[in-house]
Parts: sequence; C-alpha cells; structure tokens
Amino acid sequence: MSSSRISGLCIQELQVEYKSGQVALGQVNLTLPEHGIYTIIGPSGSGKSTLLRAIAGLLPNYTGELLFNGKPVHDKDILVGLVPQNYGLLPWKTVHGNIQVAMKITGAAGGDKAEREARITHWLSSMGIADLADRYPLSLSGGQQQRVAIARAFAILPQIMLLDEPFSALDAVTREALQQIFLDNWLAHPATALFVTHDVDEAILLGQRIIILPAGKADSIEVLDNAAVFGMKHEEKRGSNEFFEQTKRIRKVMQEKW
Amino acid sequence: MNKRITRVLRLLFVFLCMNLVWYIVYLLMNHPILPSPGSVYKAMFQLEGREVLLNVGYSLLRILEGVLLALVIGLLIGLLMGRSPLWNKLLDPVVYLTYPIPKIALLPVVMLFFGLGETSKVLMIMLILLFQIIISVRDGVKAIPENTYDVLTSIGAGTVQKFWNVTLPGALSVILSTIRISLGTAISVLFFTEIYGTEHGMGYFIMDAWLRLDYPEMYAGIMLFSLVGFVLFLLVDLLDYKFMKWRR
Repeated sequence: MSSSRISGLCIQELQVEYKSGQVALGQVNLTLPEHGIYTIIGPSGSGKSTLLRAIAGLLPNYTGELLFNGKPVHDKDILVGLVPQNYGLLPWKTVHGNIQVAMKITGAAGGDKAEREARITHWLSSMGIADLADRYPLSLSGGQQQRVAIARAFAILPQIMLLDEPFSALDAVTREALQQIFLDNWLAHPATALFVTHDVDEAILLGQRIIILPAGKADSIEVLDNAAVFGMKHEEKRGSNEFFEQTKRIRKVMQEKW
Repeated sequence: MNKRITRVLRLLFVFLCMNLVWYIVYLLMNHPILPSPGSVYKAMFQLEGREVLLNVGYSLLRILEGVLLALVIGLLIGLLMGRSPLWNKLLDPVVYLTYPIPKIALLPVVMLFFGLGETSKVLMIMLILLFQIIISVRDGVKAIPENTYDVLTSIGAGTVQKFWNVTLPGALSVILSTIRISLGTAISVLFFTEIYGTEHGMGYFIMDAWLRLDYPEMYAGIMLFSLVGFVLFLLVDLLDYKFMKWRR
C-alpha cells in the first residue's frame, strides 16, 4: 500500500543537516494518526525542536518527505498551529490582537468579523484569560502568556498542532494547571498534535504514544505505547500503577540511549 | 491625571524662572540688543496673525515634507539592509562613507543643483535625517529576534503581512527615538535654508527683523520658532505614547 494514502501525519526518512554538514536530526520515520497526540522526549541536542521546525515549515533545508493525509505538509490548505517555548507572542499587540492577527492571516472564520470576535472570546474564556484581552504580553506572567499562545494555536483551528516544550519555563503548579487545560481543549478539538517536552511525567500525562529520541543520531527512535495511561481521567493518571510502570520503562530507555 | 498636571506645572515653573533670569540679565545689561521679556511678548502679540501663521505654516510644511521623505526612503533602504545580508554588504560601505559628511556643508551644493526654492530646503532636511533613519531602521530590524517571525511563518504569512505585523512595529521604537533626536538638527538646518531665497518661514522672519534692527520682533520670532520646535517634540511624544503602550 502506498504510504501517501495513510491518513494523518506521515514523516518519511526525514533528515536535517546544519549548514556545516553536521547532522541535526538523524533519519526519522513516523506516522501519526489524524486526531492523535504524541509526545516527544529526548536529550538536548537530539533534534526535538528541529523536527518540529521542519514540520512547521521553518527549515527550508531537509531531506525526506512530510505528508499530511497524502498531501505535502507545507501545502497552503494545511494549517499548522505552533506553540513555541518562548510563547512567540508579538509584544506590540494585545492578547486579543495576537489572536486576531493569526486568524486574519489564516482566513479563519471566513473573514467574518463578528464570527472572529466570537471565536476569540470563546478561546480566551476556555483558557481562563477572558479578562486579559486588552493587556500586552509583557505585562503578563509566563503562565498567562502561554495560555494566550495556546488559545491562538487553537483559534485558527489547525489540522496539525506543534508544541515545543510549551510548559518548561513555568513553575510546577502553573504547569499542571495548563497541562489539564490543554488536554481538555485538545480532547474537544483533537488536531494532530506533536508535543515536545523534556519532562518524563509530562510525556506520559499527555501522549497517546511517547517518542523517545536517542542521543546518538545513528541510533533508532523508540516509540512507547501509552494508551493505558492516556485513557484514564487526567487527575487519576499520576497516582496509577501504569503511570509508574511507564516511568520505569522510559527511564530504562533513557539509560540505554542517552 | 494628577501626575500630568504636576508635570505641566513644573514645566511652567521652569519657563517662568527662565524668563526671570532673562529679566535680570536685561536689567544688568541695559542695552537695546537684549530687550526685556515684556517688550518681546508685547511685540509678539502685535504681530499680524495672518503673517505669523503663514511663516509658521511654511516652516512646518518644509519640516513635514522633509521628515516624510526621509522616512519613506530611509525605511525602504533600512529594511532592505536589515533583512537582506546581500544588500547590507552592498550598501553598508555607502552609508559608512557618507554618514560622517556634515550634511549642512552640502547646502551650497544642493542649492546649485536644485535652486533656491522649496526643493532644496526640503532636500536639506531630508538629507540630515535620512542617514540616521537608515542606520537606526537597519539596526532596529536586525535587533528583532528571528523567532519573532516563527509563528506567523508557520501559518503561512506573506512578506507584506510579516512587515506590518512584526518588522515595522518592532523597529518603530528606534525610528521614533531617531526622529526625536534628529528633529532638533532638522530645525536648525531649516533656519539656515530659510535665510535665502524665500520670503516666508521662521528663519526668514527672524533674519528680516534682525536686518531691520527690530530686536523685540527678532526675539519674538526666536520664541515662536522655539515654540514650533516644542510642538513638534510634543507630537513625537504623542506618537510614542500611542504606539509604545506595549513597553509599559
């Protein structure tokens, strides 16, 4: 069967080199079902961000193929919602303005102003930041800024969502609250999502599968099934036996490959 | 609001003190080359309103045209240099070599080429501002972190959209501070250019009064000219307040 008929995100023989010729990301073969969420964990320099940047269309030079439902990922009608670690908000635009500009560029809501405003309001309130609409990003806390960035990513209704260590700069309490909010919203609007993290717990809490990138570029990628934990209620995950088992399994892979 | 009132009061107080110093010097000198504040203000209010308006209007128009021209050209070149390494390499030596030329020394050259009329006056102001705007726009654009563009790039924003949403607002603060700094120079140059080949403008007005030995009117002209500069300064402050809200 031709791989181009597989639905979802299909990464084939993706390889990225720096200009110096050094390998930034060894060969990656991966298929992510549509409406699936995988977490990616790997040591620094393993190419986690590079992988996301290639899919987001921020790296012009890569070899291999990136397909979504059989079409090239960088096709015009495939929308990518990116949530970078530094939130990626435009400091000179208000919270409302940041979401608005993304929606305008993607032509979300069909260019209808009332519809767009309604959607912005909807996403701001589902992230719990409706009262911050007129504030500027520099006056917000990290957690609040990341809520805005996530609201923006959801608001354009992307087919693919890419999250690059979105919660790693936040304190533990804020991080857990945002994990919950993110997951609830994702379950309501399941885009094909790749979630990069360096936190083992976060990888287990949020992914249907967990992709472990090796430290050596020649080593192969390890993919762990995480359906058992993913199916639980979010608040029960951490205390469960499966969570503990999964942690042990990941640590073992980390010891071997990192 | 209260803060603003105290600030205005403080400015007024300083203004009054300066007038007081002026008055004391006037008493000490007791010579017609320095009239008293009172007689200067009297002369100012005796000026024909229409004439003053015409002179101030001409000066403002020249500054406005020069600033706009410098902004348009400077933005274009500065952006090109900021975003494209190739253009930066090509144009950097040009800017580097021409920047230190004292532009005021080019006044006779500009007058030779463009005559004594409006064109050369506006061009002089433009020349003074242009290089500083080019350099500050280039540096301002370069200072925008590359990843600021990431999210917009990933959702397929075009060059124009990135310019309006990232590059221009990102460089705006440096552009505003450059205009603020070079506005003073531009006004001085305007004065020089208005000495020749015109019968309108504040520079002409002041030199005309000087030649007629009408010192109170000359000082009144200087005061009015300063007022024009002050108003322009306030205008830049206003723009800063409107567009730089996000930094506070």
